[in-house]
Amino acid sequence: MSIVIFGLMRLAPGNIVDILFGSAGYVNEADKQLIMQELGIDRPIWVQYLHWLRDIVSGEMGKSYRYDLPAWQIIKPLIPVTVELAVISTVIAVCLGVPAGVISAVRQDTALDYGLRLLSLAGLSMPSFWLGMVIILTLVAWIGWIPPVTYVPVTENLPIHLVQFLLPGLAVGYRSSALIMRITRSTVLEVLREDYIRTAWAKGQSGRVVIWRHALGNAFLPIVTVIGIEFAFLIGGLVVTETVFNLPGVARFLVQAILWRDYPIVQNLVMFIAIVVILSNLLVDLLYGWLDPRVRFAG
Amino acid sequence: MFRPLGVTARVALALALALAAVGAPALSQTPRAPLAPKSGGVLNVSQREELPQGFSIHESATNSTVWPSLPCFSNLVFFDSQKMVESVDTIVGELAEKWSWQDNHRSLAFFLRRNVNWHDGRPFTAKDVKYTFDMVREAKDAPARLRINPRKDWYANVEAIEAPDPYTVVFRLRRPQPSFLLLLASGYSPVYPTHVPPGEFRTRCVGTGPFRLKEWRKGEYVEYVRNPNYFIKERPYLDGLKYVIIAERSTRFAALQAGRLDVAMPIDGSRTLTAQLKAAVPKMVITEINPNANANILMNTKRPPFDNVKVRRAISLAIDRRAYVKAVEQGGAVVGASLAPPPWGIWGLREQELARLPGYGRPERDKALTRALLAEAGYGPGHPLRVEMATRAMAIFVDFASFVIDELRQVGVEATLRQVETAQWHPLVTRREYQMGSNFTGLGVDDPDANFPENYGCGSPRNYTDYCDEQVMRMIEQQSQELDPKKRLALVWRIQEKLEEDAARPTMGWRLDYFAQWPHVKNLIPHHSAYNWSRMQDVWLDR
Repeated sequence: MSIVIFGLMRLAPGNIVDILFGSAGYVNEADKQLIMQELGIDRPIWVQYLHWLRDIVSGEMGKSYRYDLPAWQIIKPLIPVTVELAVISTVIAVCLGVPAGVISAVRQDTALDYGLRLLSLAGLSMPSFWLGMVIILTLVAWIGWIPPVTYVPVTENLPIHLVQFLLPGLAVGYRSSALIMRITRSTVLEVLREDYIRTAWAKGQSGRVVIWRHALGNAFLPIVTVIGIEFAFLIGGLVVTETVFNLPGVARFLVQAILWRDYPIVQNLVMFIAIVVILSNLLVDLLYGWLDPRVRFAG
Repeated sequence: MFRPLGVTARVALALALALAAVGAPALSQTPRAPLAPKSGGVLNVSQREELPQGFSIHESATNSTVWPSLPCFSNLVFFDSQKMVESVDTIVGELAEKWSWQDNHRSLAFFLRRNVNWHDGRPFTAKDVKYTFDMVREAKDAPARLRINPRKDWYANVEAIEAPDPYTVVFRLRRPQPSFLLLLASGYSPVYPTHVPPGEFRTRCVGTGPFRLKEWRKGEYVEYVRNPNYFIKERPYLDGLKYVIIAERSTRFAALQAGRLDVAMPIDGSRTLTAQLKAAVPKMVITEINPNANANILMNTKRPPFDNVKVRRAISLAIDRRAYVKAVEQGGAVVGASLAPPPWGIWGLREQELARLPGYGRPERDKALTRALLAEAGYGPGHPLRVEMATRAMAIFVDFASFVIDELRQVGVEATLRQVETAQWHPLVTRREYQMGSNFTGLGVDDPDANFPENYGCGSPRNYTDYCDEQVMRMIEQQSQELDPKKRLALVWRIQEKLEEDAARPTMGWRLDYFAQWPHVKNLIPHHSAYNWSRMQDVWLDR
């Protein structure tokens, strides 16, 4: 994976020295060579790759070309912002999507079902950044207020911090909830047709027990899978939302680093995103075992 | 303070007064300086992107560096913050208390302020000045070197810099250059300390300016606090400044509208956007300014077909400048040649002269002339001229290029668009690996010496078209050392006409900027320039 990440970055045309000269409006080939030498990007690609691996193993993660600071120093403050936003968005998505999906399944082909499906279709059709922009512009137009445009840490002011994250969380969470709602609806509908559900109804169990314990409990595996995928996607996919709400997160910074060809930052951020994807998949697999006894005892 | 008033200065003053007489361009509700400024408060300032080179102004050529870095530094001289039009007569002393031209304008002596300290407490002396400008001009014995040096050419006429005592510095010039003082007054000419390596300015700032750097949170904001030891007594008024980096333009303007920001950033507000802002917040102050940036067409004069002046002239004739201003800039620009036209600038050609030039007259007549010129060069319906137009893959560049392609199509020229990423653009034009391109050029100072040698001079790295004409070079030299301002102006006009006739780099228009600020921000007067007015020492808040 490290080779792919490293190699892909080198496929992009130009390097940071081109960008530096670009911002100065000219290129001096001799000076360009000197800077490339200084940054070590004049060396053969495989040497650069080995240096990067060495930096990772030593925990240094290299030095940002752009800021001339250790990459970890730059990346470290970005991670909690993105993780928090992804967690809040996922929680909102689950809180909206799962109940809506269940209600929609139970009330199949009623006005409520159509209404909820329409809402979910709208959620899938609206890009979260667009929704975010609409939220910001609506707030500013109606009440002349928007959340602070610089990041307020939780330790500084909890209510403001929450507002800063809840609005983008809603924008992103709504879109994700639409997907979760649709998956929940279809899997619950499937389970509701099973014999054991019919047996539960025949035994006279309450609707709450039948639907929420028996039906949803067994329908949950695909839902958890989708939640896991969505969470992993959000870690690297919040670029525009972070940009619109001006939150200093991983994705926004990653785009800047790509534009500047700041290889050490890009490589380490992509590596971080890849690790989160792997870990969230692992967590989903572990949850399978916890949710489904068949998986737990299969081994 | 001693302010020499040379002949250039007198004409510049006359021109400035003339500008004032015809009316300052569309100054809507510019905040007036009140009698009793209040101290305190933090000004929240818009910053559209991360600082590309940190605070290293000498290594940068973008306002994204200059705008948030200026409050940290001081120049020898600077443009008066309260005067919108910049000229020799609006120059005031900063680190220099007074100055004097000597030896028939071949030496410029500065007499420096005493008891000025750098932000780290070390004393400022003439050695710092010599160090800075020896480094920028790349003198043989310069003790330090810049990694990237975009303005070396500004100082090509400097023969030596001497510091005979700690408070005197003398620039010895090879030939007279009356506008040299203007180059030193640019925001691009701060004085650096000898004791801080130039590379460190990419991450921190040690200056003598009104504000000291408190924190640069990467990608988030730059924060300054008041410098209590600033050399001008009772300045600055503000306790601090916060430049908030907001990459998304809609969010930036929403933040301004919501009062999260007090002022916008220069070269950020379009006419349409600021009109909407004004409609939403009627008390918002919008000032129309000329940021000194023009849209121009590059034609590679070293490659066919543009090595043929007839073809270049045909292309220049084919493009209707007034239609460009209307269609691409939506009226937010003015037509002009290679220097900004009055009343936006001092040196540009006026309407009556422009009307005689290719592309500024009647479009139908110009297009007919284009076809005739192309036919002379061997192109016509059976053998159309085919060209590739390169541009940066950004909306403003693409819109501009698409307009040009459409204009060319109307005269039978088949042009295709090639979009290149920003990282590739300058290597492409520097290596002349293009046929034709659409480009924007910003000028640090409204002065021919800050434009002609750099963009039209033979061998200059930023002369992307490689246009080189001996006669023009002679005239550029001549105007630079001309002490009679009237004669200089006449020469400058002649150069501009010649450049347009040769289609050296046809100018499409001068973009206007619409600078927005809340009315409680006082004494922040936008200039007709993007680079020379954000020191912020006179700004105060009337909340």
